[in-house]
Amino acid sequence: MNLRRRLIPYGLLGPGGIWLILFFLLPMYFMGEMALRSGSLTEGYNLTWEWANFPDSLDGRGEQIARTALYSGAATVLALLIAYPLAYAIAVRASPRWRLLLLFSVIAPFFTTYLIRTIGWKTILADSSPIVDVLQFLALIPDDGRVLATSGAVIAGLTYNFLPFMILPIYASLERLDLSLLEAAKDLYASSRQAFLKVTLPLSAPGIVAGVLLTFIPAFGDYINAEILGGTNQAMIGNKIQSLYLEESNYPEAAALSFLMMAAVLIAVLLYIRLAGTEAFMGSEEERG
Amino acid sequence: MLTKLGLAVACLATALGMAACGSDDTVGGAREGDVQVAESGPVEGEFTVSSWPGYIDPGKDGSVAEFEERTGVSVKYIEDVNSNVTFFGKLRPLLDQGKSGDRDLIVVTDWMAARMHDLGYLQEFNPDDIQTALDNLAPQFESEGAYDPDHKFSIPWQGGMTGIWVNTSEADEITSINDLFDPKYKGRVTMLDEVRDTVPLVMRADGVDMESATKEDWLAAIDRIGKAADSGQIRRFTGNDYTEDLTSGNAVASIGWSGDAYLIGRDDVEWRRPVEGCNLWFDTMAIPVGAPNTAAALEFINFAYEPKVQADIAEFVTYVTPVEGVKEILGKRDPKLAKDPLIFPDAEFTADCVPFSEPPGDAADVAEVEEAYQEVISG
Repeated sequence: MNLRRRLIPYGLLGPGGIWLILFFLLPMYFMGEMALRSGSLTEGYNLTWEWANFPDSLDGRGEQIARTALYSGAATVLALLIAYPLAYAIAVRASPRWRLLLLFSVIAPFFTTYLIRTIGWKTILADSSPIVDVLQFLALIPDDGRVLATSGAVIAGLTYNFLPFMILPIYASLERLDLSLLEAAKDLYASSRQAFLKVTLPLSAPGIVAGVLLTFIPAFGDYINAEILGGTNQAMIGNKIQSLYLEESNYPEAAALSFLMMAAVLIAVLLYIRLAGTEAFMGSEEERG
Repeated sequence: MLTKLGLAVACLATALGMAACGSDDTVGGAREGDVQVAESGPVEGEFTVSSWPGYIDPGKDGSVAEFEERTGVSVKYIEDVNSNVTFFGKLRPLLDQGKSGDRDLIVVTDWMAARMHDLGYLQEFNPDDIQTALDNLAPQFESEGAYDPDHKFSIPWQGGMTGIWVNTSEADEITSINDLFDPKYKGRVTMLDEVRDTVPLVMRADGVDMESATKEDWLAAIDRIGKAADSGQIRRFTGNDYTEDLTSGNAVASIGWSGDAYLIGRDDVEWRRPVEGCNLWFDTMAIPVGAPNTAAALEFINFAYEPKVQADIAEFVTYVTPVEGVKEILGKRDPKLAKDPLIFPDAEFTADCVPFSEPPGDAADVAEVEEAYQEVISG
């Protein structure tokens, strides 16, 4: 009985642990090993502990790295600015019936695959499309301007594609918001603005942090949006990795660059969590009870 | 429960062990073992072709359906080749393991077929098995077959020319590759992501003689293309999907292949041979290693070389046909087709055109040029 009780936690960890080993650690091992190989496609790539692959993979790619940080950062901020009011409206203001409908609308795009949705934007934003005409008419873009094959299109695509990942966690944290706390704040002479800043926002912080992570991490590694909506000057680091792997068959450098990208994201995320505070990330001690 | 877990852990340990043992193995490189000869036999079962978009009529009355009807084979015709390099990159890990992803026949450009053959990724033909094809092959395709003159592992599917597709209502004055660099068309020009298509055209627009071109000439042209890409002059580098930008009107001029009118589907977009000349090339049919149904593949090759079948294909795709006797058949159907320079270009039409050029030098030089171009087109 005692032994069994002690084994149960391990048993519960088992499936997840095996999953992690098979689909995370093992591929990481192969990727790390690949990153240290050298050779050419015709001769084959042999393990020679070629550490130079790491600096080589960054060589001349500063522009793409900066662009990746800019695009994914901008998309995350935009998604947050769009998602928060929306999530707030759904969770706090909407009637239960509307809430269901609105939530469904947020998730509905997922019924079509990511790739098709992005290609769809290509048609919607084509140079001769009515939308571009309207933007030209409003002087938001120059008369001979375009939307496709610009940085704006890629950032918009990233924002659009990852928006639900921002909305849902924020919604989840706002939905649990105890409205009587807001009433209490008002009773204590807080203005609506103060009540929002001192009560609502801090209580929804875990949702914001989770949403930012869920948006930023995939956006940073994305290459589909830049590939389909971008032009010659919009390549992100994901596009470089794809090109190294698929077109140049330079697997070692592709693996090295992937590793460095993962490291960069990891560092950015750790800094962010540190900045946001673990409390915002995990919820406070009391809240977890 | 515990035994299952134990089993899983044991499997995992083996997997890890294998990974560790395997780390000395070479990844990539030529496949070991003898080159296989594609086996002939009874033609039946399922048959999968990988080809470029718009390269045959896949409809109910098309050539694929005719092949199915005649042989009873069920054909899966997939258009998943958008460019040689990406297709190769996608397929290579499979081919390295002796698999083709169930593909029985692939259509790639001649230089790519040669590269795949060098790596041991293609099966060879027994000449008796493709006799119809060898008998009907047009002579001008024989002399051009520098990569595989004896058709040991590849045989032409269609030939074509690389030039400029021009939207005549918006950019009618474009006649030269140099016009594509005119700031007037900034952001409305696309070029092909294949180094052998785009770079020689730009080199010749710069007045370089392809016969004596050096690696530096290639790199200089790539540099010029790179600058145009950085400035936003070139909208995109594309594979066969350049046709989409022409259809939607995003591009007013694109470097492209002579037979894609059907894919573009616009009357005001026409193919032009640049004043400096064009590139001549041909795509070939080849049987990859691991092809499950080589008998059907061989039969399909012979089928495509029957003049009547080829006439249907030529009429549909309007590329340069590699089969003798097609001109007569098409002439009877519609005299205009027999005179179409895109299907039957005469010597005068192609006077300034040259066959696909390979970057000069050894394999390392070629790789240097290819990588330089890849860096430019991947932004």
